[in-house]
Amino acid sequence: MIGSLLAQVNTLKEAGSAAAQTQDSAILSEQFYFFTVVIMWLIHAGFMSYETGVARRKNALATAMKNILTIAVVTPTFYYFGWWIYNCNQPGLPVGPNSSDFTGAACQGGIPWSDTFGPNLTNNINLVFFLAFLLFSWTTASIMSGAIIERARLTAYLVLACILGSVVWILDAAWGWSAGGWLTLRFGFHDSIASGVVHGVAGAFTLGVLFNLGPRIGKYTREGLARQFRPHNLHMTLLGLMLIFTGFYGFYAACLVIASTAFPGWANIYLSPTTLGSIAMIITMGFAGGFTGGYFASRGDPFWTVSGGLAGVISVSAGADVYAPTLGYLIAMASAAMTVYIGNWIEKRMRVDDAVGAVAVHGAAGFLGMLWVGVFAAGYPTGVNNVDSSIGGQLMGMATFLPLGFLTGWVCSWVMKKLNILRVPPEVELMGLDVAEYEPNLYLPEVGVVTEQLVEPDGTPVEAAIVLRNARDEVVV
Amino acid sequence: MPLLIDSAPDCVVHKEGANADDLADFVLQQNYEDCAGFGTFMPGSTYGDDGSGAETLYMIVTWLGIVVMVAVLVAWVLYENRRLIQAAMGYTRAEAPAGGPPPQPGGVGDTR
Repeated sequence: MIGSLLAQVNTLKEAGSAAAQTQDSAILSEQFYFFTVVIMWLIHAGFMSYETGVARRKNALATAMKNILTIAVVTPTFYYFGWWIYNCNQPGLPVGPNSSDFTGAACQGGIPWSDTFGPNLTNNINLVFFLAFLLFSWTTASIMSGAIIERARLTAYLVLACILGSVVWILDAAWGWSAGGWLTLRFGFHDSIASGVVHGVAGAFTLGVLFNLGPRIGKYTREGLARQFRPHNLHMTLLGLMLIFTGFYGFYAACLVIASTAFPGWANIYLSPTTLGSIAMIITMGFAGGFTGGYFASRGDPFWTVSGGLAGVISVSAGADVYAPTLGYLIAMASAAMTVYIGNWIEKRMRVDDAVGAVAVHGAAGFLGMLWVGVFAAGYPTGVNNVDSSIGGQLMGMATFLPLGFLTGWVCSWVMKKLNILRVPPEVELMGLDVAEYEPNLYLPEVGVVTEQLVEPDGTPVEAAIVLRNARDEVVV
Repeated sequence: MPLLIDSAPDCVVHKEGANADDLADFVLQQNYEDCAGFGTFMPGSTYGDDGSGAETLYMIVTWLGIVVMVAVLVAWVLYENRRLIQAAMGYTRAEAPAGGPPPQPGGVGDTR
């Protein structure tokens, strides 16, 4: 009798202890994702600073405001349909074979009127996990924002940001960045910290937009040679990149699943075990290799050196959960060097005016990152079907993401171009977006006596006004 | 009773006085004992798949947000379009007689 009672007491104690442990684990997870979100805000402070510094002074405020207003539009769109896309579209598109089951419980957390998608005493996780993904969405949209500065309309950018940030990237994330996505289940596609899912797709989308947007007035000579517009504040640009780098640690951490009651406590997005230390090590080695590769490939150019760090990290992100540190270092160095050449090729050969090199740094490095997993990290079970990562699976992912990003960007911007809501009028572009969009007299006279210059293809700095006016007349005529 | 709108779900009750056990845990739980989704206009419970148990009022509030979001985006596009066209016309008129280089805001040649 007494023995039976003691056994019951012990069972109750164990149950109570397990319940408390589960609650502790839930609260730990909630705090973890919350603080990754806080850290990831730095990415957006960084993008703003980075792009504003690159812009000519007459476009500085418009450039900064565009970054801030990303938050105003991507947040509600991602809340109302972005999270639903991720939760409900992992098996595939809504129609056709293996179409998604929209009545399934998996959709539950993503529907805006779901009980777990608002204040709920029985679910600590869904909202903070949503917020982490929302910050990824802002990042994805912001990747495009820098490339199109100084001539795209604010609202054109905002609409495109909604499409990229709340539809395109999250659809590819459903397919290839979840344990149940069809790319993962069938092909073992492995992109653990989103080389391609975020950066590659955003770069492809941006390239599609740039084809329709066209270069800034005066960017190319009549012969098609590229002029350089001088950044109005290179220090601000470098500071912005440093902020982005800091925020990337939050981004990397948020890509992991924390499971404190299970060994080893962490899993990648495909629910395979890894550690926070593993990915933190790779991001740091990625920066080291990236800066080095960027420096030597660009012969010490500050912009490409620092951008090389970003390209390096992006290129090792896909395999950051499993790469050895040395491998991460070498891959990042080689990829950053390749990115410099790709960036110059895009500008000078393709004659695509990408103001911050986003297509090369994010797009090319992102796709290289996916490829490197197939080359250097094949054989790792990925997803709940335990399909091994392989070069074939990675190529399948790349072949899916490239058209998804590029064609969507191209088609959407083409429609906006036809509606004449893509680009500012040439007169406004010449005068500067700040004056038309915001305040006529932004700067005090004593700090405003700098004549705008640009650099001709042969390296000669010249006063910009006459060159731009002539270029504008060619556009208008 | 609330003066205008009582948006709290029915699961939120108003018990008299604080429970000593609650105070010991620093969370006054007794008023929310039966709650899951307890936000404004929410049903207060666990709804089931696809939010099928969400009440009419909560759906109306959610869809109102969606409609406002779309309307704001459209209005924003139209507003900026009008503003840019006005600015472009202003510049064209202003620069026609002189034909000099365009001034930077606040820079050399800016006579505004």
